[in-house]
Amino acid sequence: MNSFGFWLGIAVLFVIGLGFVWVIRGERYFGFLWWPYVMTLGAACIVGALFISNNWASALIGAAGASLIWGSTELKEQAVRGELGWYPFREKKIDPPFAKVIKKWRAPSL
Amino acid sequence: MEINFVGLAAALATFFGVWWGHVSVRKIERETVHVWKPALIALALGVGLMSASFLSTNMALSAVFGILGMTLLFDALEIAVRQPRRIKHGHAPANPNNPRHAKILAEYPEATTVDLLNRDPRGRVYSAAELTALKENGK
Repeated sequence: MNSFGFWLGIAVLFVIGLGFVWVIRGERYFGFLWWPYVMTLGAACIVGALFISNNWASALIGAAGASLIWGSTELKEQAVRGELGWYPFREKKIDPPFAKVIKKWRAPSL
Repeated sequence: MEINFVGLAAALATFFGVWWGHVSVRKIERETVHVWKPALIALALGVGLMSASFLSTNMALSAVFGILGMTLLFDALEIAVRQPRRIKHGHAPANPNNPRHAKILAEYPEATTVDLLNRDPRGRVYSAAELTALKENGK
């Protein structure tokens, strides 16, 4: 019996749950325009996970990276949820570097 | 340095598990009259995948089965409980052709057929009047 997948599944559920929290909080204070940075960080985590020999660490970093990429695609919808009054809304956001350029790009939404 | 594919496998299972779960929960709940049926199927598939993760000696496969199994178990909860709640609150569009959704539309004033999330952020909160107009006009 190999219990690695079972415990990893539970751990990843918490990683995904944490994703809900940072998407909500992150969008409230920083805004959805940070999505390219979050996506890049997620991709970097996945690439980094390839070079970690410990299975647990590699799997958790990889799953966290995937959760970051998913979260980056949720930021735009979360911004709309805030504007619709479903979540607390903060008008003043902390813009990312190159915000004007990012505004011209279509934010991903899956 | 040796490449460890367990992390990549976990990442792919997490991303596609969440993505497909997100899309299929919305689609299935929208079309199904008796949500307990697909919820039960997701539950059974989730338990099956979790069992497969115990039986697999390959760490990457065990990771994929474990993660997909757990996301399917959560999808069962989403289909049966959380998505219908979103429909009742108007946080997801109701399907008037589905008798279960038609009943929700009749009983819950917040429920709507309009996908309110299908728009770009504009940087300020919608007023009550604007929200009413959005629901009425579908814009």
